[in-house]
Amino acid sequence: MSISLKVEDLTFTYSIDSKPIFERLNFELPLNSFNLLIGPSGSGKSTIFKLMAGLYPQYSGIKNNGRILLNGQEIADIVPFERARHVAMLFQNPSRQFAMKTVFEQLVFALENIQYPAHLIEKRATEVLKKSNLWQFKDRILQTLSGGEQQRVALATVLVLDSSIIFLDEPFANIDNVSRLVILNELKQLQLTQHKTIFISDHDISNYNGLVDHLYEIKLSSQNLVELPLTELAKLPAQTKVTQKNLPDNAVFSWHNLSFHIGQRLLLSPNSLNIPKGYVGLLSGDNGIGKSTLFAAFSHQKKYSGNVLYNGKSSEKIRLRNWARTVANIFQNSSDQFIKLHADEELDFSQSNSLHSEYWTAQRIQDAVNKLDLIQVLKHVNYQLSGGQQKKLQALIILIMSQPVMLFDEPFAGLDLNSLENLLMLIKQTTKDLGLSTLIISHQRRGVVEHIDYELLMDEQTIKRLGEF
Amino acid sequence: MQTVDHTKKGWSVKDVIFLAIIAIFFGIIYQVWSFAYYAIAATPLKPYANDLTLGVWIMAGPLAGVLLKKVGASVVGELLAAAVEMLLFSSWGASTLISGFIQGIGNELGFAATGYKNWGRLGLLLSAIGSTIITFVWDWFQSGYSEYHVGLLVSLFVIRFVSIGFFSGVLVYWIKKLVNRSGLIK
Amino acid sequence: MSSKRINPTILVIIMLGIGLQITFAHSVSTNIVVIFVTCLYLCYCKASGKLLILTSLYAFPLALGSWWSFIMFGTGDVWHTAWIYASRVYAYLYLGAIVTLTVSVKNILLSLSLHLKLSSTFVYGLLASFNLLGRIKHQYKTIRYSAMMRGTTYHFWNPSLYLRVIIVALNWSQDLAEAMTSQGFTEGAARTLTYKDNLPKWQWCLATFLILLYFVFSFLVRPW
Repeated sequence: MSISLKVEDLTFTYSIDSKPIFERLNFELPLNSFNLLIGPSGSGKSTIFKLMAGLYPQYSGIKNNGRILLNGQEIADIVPFERARHVAMLFQNPSRQFAMKTVFEQLVFALENIQYPAHLIEKRATEVLKKSNLWQFKDRILQTLSGGEQQRVALATVLVLDSSIIFLDEPFANIDNVSRLVILNELKQLQLTQHKTIFISDHDISNYNGLVDHLYEIKLSSQNLVELPLTELAKLPAQTKVTQKNLPDNAVFSWHNLSFHIGQRLLLSPNSLNIPKGYVGLLSGDNGIGKSTLFAAFSHQKKYSGNVLYNGKSSEKIRLRNWARTVANIFQNSSDQFIKLHADEELDFSQSNSLHSEYWTAQRIQDAVNKLDLIQVLKHVNYQLSGGQQKKLQALIILIMSQPVMLFDEPFAGLDLNSLENLLMLIKQTTKDLGLSTLIISHQRRGVVEHIDYELLMDEQTIKRLGEF
Repeated sequence: MQTVDHTKKGWSVKDVIFLAIIAIFFGIIYQVWSFAYYAIAATPLKPYANDLTLGVWIMAGPLAGVLLKKVGASVVGELLAAAVEMLLFSSWGASTLISGFIQGIGNELGFAATGYKNWGRLGLLLSAIGSTIITFVWDWFQSGYSEYHVGLLVSLFVIRFVSIGFFSGVLVYWIKKLVNRSGLIK
Repeated sequence: MSSKRINPTILVIIMLGIGLQITFAHSVSTNIVVIFVTCLYLCYCKASGKLLILTSLYAFPLALGSWWSFIMFGTGDVWHTAWIYASRVYAYLYLGAIVTLTVSVKNILLSLSLHLKLSSTFVYGLLASFNLLGRIKHQYKTIRYSAMMRGTTYHFWNPSLYLRVIIVALNWSQDLAEAMTSQGFTEGAARTLTYKDNLPKWQWCLATFLILLYFVFSFLVRPW
């Protein structure tokens, strides 16, 4: 069966009073091919995918002009149970795409949706699970699987529907590299043997060389999809290393025999380390290995065994309210950080409760605001800021609090290189001036590692200081 | 291929999940505070504990109303909260679902009295009055209020109105104002 | 094995049908009969004894409080009244337990959708949200910590706590609904249902019989 998916003259905006994210966009998806979409975060990769999958404008935004046609029919008007046979999607957050509790139930759910004959459903689900090498996961509870396993189940859900076009919206953001390679190869096989059309968006272009037929980029300036030569995929930035320094043995924050699980999965086996005071460290490791969970354990939001120590004293009996004044967690998701409505209220609140109010004078805060280019958004609602502005504001309000231990989880995601450098310098300066112990998780290494003092690597259920021995 | 009728305005799965997630959060928040309730409820002052905290249990209904601005949102919101309470936190047994329904009706009547046009102060005030009266009549039978002295009844009624008025009226109004200012729900 | 159990839909009907009447009944003995019969059924289904004992203990302060308050503030035959309302707490509790402790949440909802036409939007919306329970608990900790880091604490009367909850609910419900839609879920459309359960006619009769029987005893015979 031939199928086509075309975007014609599309103009799309998130709200009436904001400027369009796409203007007069034209695009035709090449069929039976493997396509990759790149572009900075916030450039609209998700948006264009969800438009082409028919989910927008139903779930968000306003289409001001143009059409998106699946086989000549406006895709947003097609009932989902018919649309799903042609177009399906894997989402960025692996855990929030399942209606059911177990793997098998999830596949059955999808088949029931498209009114697959009842007596064939079990057979079909079984067949797809076996083909996807997921049979042993059949009765596992989805929310206890790792991100990589969840994405494989999500892919099996799409396969069970037999959709011919598969969109994958940043599917690897939270999953480990081994799973990523497994899924990429599976997708390539699907394209070659079952003539599926694959369209992935990713911020990381490694491992795509040789797989991809077409490479696209969303250019912020033109708000359009531009096809790039495939040779771009070979241009991988060299992995930069943190230069080893001799750091003083002045740690105030440490952990002893620390270990934790998620469900049945052991993420960290008993591990003991400490981090120096007054320096900025990078916590690296594969996606999904448990770095964010480690931060959650440090900030007493995740149960663990062993001890987390501050000034040599174990912290487990300290009241959470007091511990929160020792260990600050700058969350990956900015909106988890805000407790006020407007940017200036956040800053004022931090200033009046700061643990180092002598340091954070009005002038210093003003300078930081200028440096982070937040001056024009101070009166805005936090949740209405761009992703990058939220990241900078979020980091600043916690820096002003100045807890002795600062844990930054992906603080640079979606920042341009200039903003990144300014924010990193601010973190470094504050850490040095106030003698904080700072750890940063960042998948982005470019522009970061040059300024980092030491690196911790989380791998195979352990954490080690790189270059220690 | 078959097309969707975009003019239909029934309950969407997004609305259901939205209210259910809020209800689960409520369940978690109240678990912490319910210990205080229990401490009083184990004494003869139980009716006071009931009426003092009633507004908190009822909040989900009017909140659903002002967030979704839909006919039936208060009843469905309160029923969903009751279903979540019963199925996930299984604490009160059979009466949860029935009381949830009754409470939702009380709130719904308030919004209905404005012709579903006012979801602000007036709607919330009427909704608080509606649920105070309806739930009081209900407890007349269910919790045996018919057997209490008149003096106790009067003070219970006043306490109940204050509790519902604050939590399901004033607090919901503040929340609604915050949500509006945040610009997150159009 | 499961065919000898009562269908979840029937259990819900019995729970509501008798539960509603209990509210208006004035009898200790019918309450005790309800407690006795429901406990028998719970034993027959081998419901988790530990959970049953835990919830029973959990309800004890409530029963005690009811009882005591009528002794203190009641009018008329305070002893009778006190025992009515104390036993009522347990009658409600076990009546609820015959549904929640013997059938899974999924089967309750699917059975209601099969036999009582409960809309699939509600069935799958609820199921999808219930799966997030663990994540929602963790998210609540995150929200609390975010305030504590800034030197303040959220209390349940703070509107800003609810704003945070609403923001999370908005984002997550959108993610889940988008995913379900892309997997073909369509509100109000027909779908195949593989869930099957046994609902023989005699079970409808049983429900009707039990509800009527309760009515006759509570409101016509009216024992102590």
